[in-house]
Amino acid sequence: MIKFILNRLVMAIPTIVIVSVAVFTLIRLIPGDPAALMLGDMAEPQQIAAMRTELGLDRSIPEQFVIWAGNILSGDFGTSIVTGEPVLHLVLSRFMVSAEIVVIAVFLASLIAVPAGVIAAWRQNSLTDLALVGTATVLLSIPTFWLGLLLLLAFGLKLGWLPVLGYVPITENWKAGLLYLVLPVMTLVIHEMGVIIRMARASTLEVLRLDYITHARAKGLSESAVLWRHAFKNAFGPTWTMIGLILGNLLGGIAVIETVFTIPGLGRLMVDAIFQRDYPVIQGCLLLVAFSYVVVNLVVDLLYPLFDPRVVAE
Amino acid sequence: MKTILLAGTMLMSAIALGHARDLTVAQSSDIRSNEPGVNRDGNTDSVIFHIVEGLVGYAENGEVKPLLAKSVEVSADGLTYTFKLRDDVKFHNGKALTAEDVVWNWTRYMKPETKWTCAGDFDGGKSIKVTNVAAADASTVTMSIEKPSAVFLGLMARPECGYTGIVSKDSVGADGAFVAPIGTGPFKWAEWKKGEYVRLEKNADYVSPDNDGKPDGMVGSKRPLVDGIKFMVIPDASTVKTGLLSGALDTAEVSADLIAEFKGSDTMQLIVKRNNGKNLLYFQTRDKVLSNVAVRRAMAEALDLDQLVAAVSNGTGEANSSMVSADSVFYSDVQKKKIPMDLEKAKKNLADAGYKGEQITIIANKRGNVPSFPAAVVAQAMMQQVGLNVQIEVLDYATQVDRRRSGNYQVISQSVSPRLDPALMYGFYVGNKDKNASLMWDNPKAVELMKAAYIEADQAKRQAIFDEFHQLMLDEVPGIFMYDMVDIWGATKKLHGQPVWQSNTRLWEVTLDD
Repeated sequence: MIKFILNRLVMAIPTIVIVSVAVFTLIRLIPGDPAALMLGDMAEPQQIAAMRTELGLDRSIPEQFVIWAGNILSGDFGTSIVTGEPVLHLVLSRFMVSAEIVVIAVFLASLIAVPAGVIAAWRQNSLTDLALVGTATVLLSIPTFWLGLLLLLAFGLKLGWLPVLGYVPITENWKAGLLYLVLPVMTLVIHEMGVIIRMARASTLEVLRLDYITHARAKGLSESAVLWRHAFKNAFGPTWTMIGLILGNLLGGIAVIETVFTIPGLGRLMVDAIFQRDYPVIQGCLLLVAFSYVVVNLVVDLLYPLFDPRVVAE
Repeated sequence: MKTILLAGTMLMSAIALGHARDLTVAQSSDIRSNEPGVNRDGNTDSVIFHIVEGLVGYAENGEVKPLLAKSVEVSADGLTYTFKLRDDVKFHNGKALTAEDVVWNWTRYMKPETKWTCAGDFDGGKSIKVTNVAAADASTVTMSIEKPSAVFLGLMARPECGYTGIVSKDSVGADGAFVAPIGTGPFKWAEWKKGEYVRLEKNADYVSPDNDGKPDGMVGSKRPLVDGIKFMVIPDASTVKTGLLSGALDTAEVSADLIAEFKGSDTMQLIVKRNNGKNLLYFQTRDKVLSNVAVRRAMAEALDLDQLVAAVSNGTGEANSSMVSADSVFYSDVQKKKIPMDLEKAKKNLADAGYKGEQITIIANKRGNVPSFPAAVVAQAMMQQVGLNVQIEVLDYATQVDRRRSGNYQVISQSVSPRLDPALMYGFYVGNKDKNASLMWDNPKAVELMKAAYIEADQAKRQAIFDEFHQLMLDEVPGIFMYDMVDIWGATKKLHGQPVWQSNTRLWEVTLDD
């Protein structure tokens, strides 16, 4: 098992390297000068040139990359061009905020959507199936920013139940923290449920058509035993993989949700950094996103045998 | 259902957060630092505005008046400024302001390691060189400059310079690093949750400079009338609107399309205030097509400026083709002149110029609440009427800045932040394009007039300079100035006072009903 984990982590190195090179190069190829943006519209060309030198932006891109990569290997992710904060601390603190929301949302979405998908498959072509598939398609089609705004209007503005602005970490005040999490989490849950319901339904349908299910039914097992003991275990694998992908995707990609709900998460940090051409922060964010993808996929693979004993982590 | 509603409301009340009488205002992005005039942008300046004060400040009409100083005297040769300090000023840590503090601040600002944005304006690199700053006694500071200047005080008072705010020495740690601003302003630095909010506390001991009981730009009455201010970072316009309507925000800048809704609201009020910023079409006068004055003139003649401004500003703006703001003391009858729409004349000018349908591209952006894109769209439609082949290229702001800096553009539809002295506004556009490619106009006469405006202190003579400059601009058309920028803000009806001035949040003399 340890060898498997180590192998997977080693295999992640090329991924991280490719991401680093791509991100580093691409962000520098788009127009926009961080020094000019930082100094504002009254800066003279000489001041901008001096700032570029100070930031090391006057060096060639390969030279900048070598310096940056060397610093990364020694644990120094650099400092933000805009705020002067250490990138690693900035990125990790924002990542924790995003992760809190995403993990809760994906957990809740899975809790609701997986059984719903299985039931839809079990009742294929019935009214229940139609309703669940229809609902899933609608949920999937709703843009998250629009859904978020609707929820804000309903629960924040009209009913006044939930706060419309701000964020309180659960670690600081768990009651208030939970209250501030409800709307963003609800938005993500509703949206992601659509994907998971459809996946769970499709994979369960596939399994329900196999001979061993017919055999189980022929043995006289109850429908619930057939469904949950025999069909679900085999059907859950693809859904579990999909949940892992959703988790990895959301960990770096809820900028819209964070913007609508004024949450200081990683996505918003990254979007702001792109607009401000804050290269070290963009690089730090994307490296973390790539790394979290690798880790999430590794965890998914490690947990796979729990659901499908045929799969062994080795 | 009633029970659920009640439970929800009770839950919300039970967990209500924040300080009871803080005034909450939205900002589109977080501040860059808490150090006046160093790592800054407009939002940073707005927060700093409440904390620090300089020796002088701008009044509403653009005049520079004493702020921390009781009086400012200029020597007959215009080279020595004597600032008598007020004796009623204390820093937020309780220490009294002294002349030595002023000298310490100036010395610190001018050190290269401080990286003060405005150091270049006072080290002789541009127009002014400060040769000496000294404490004549405990409450008198003298500053000497190399050559006479009409804009010395005005440059010091600018937001970009952090108002050249005087802070206590305790603002800097033992290692020389800036910790937090301990200023003299009506509000004190309290808390910064990065990415979320900045909170200021009322300075209960604050004493305003001499005033007539009303706020007046950076001077006048400046009483802090709320317990604190919370500047919340809210980048999304829809969330800002929801925040205002729900009462979570007390005031914020809103987009122009909300004007009708806010005007008709029972709970909200609309605040519309013109400022000295400019919305304009910025021409590259060295472009192959636009180097021809007749083409530029035809573009101006194709525009029905009043109609364009009314459409783009949702009825809040007024056409003004001058670089001088309509609220300036220098906004004379000459400044009111503009190129009238004349489609036939425009077509003739194009024919005379030998224009054969060459493409002219207007660069625009869709950033925040600036009218760059809608102005480009309306201008394009109007210019096409006379046969101009105008296209629009939408860029993100960073790319637009890059294009302007490199001179790689034909026309940019852009907004320029307020400069209260017309000479400082000229400085943004006029100068040697070989040395600074981002400048718009390098006409030698215009450069000469701008330099004269920087030096001439006599108001009547300055007026003559500004009028001559404007006439030259109407002849040469280096750009089309459309209208002065307008701040459009929404606020709860519980708020009384004017929460915005020159695009800066200004929350002194603002109250909130309980």
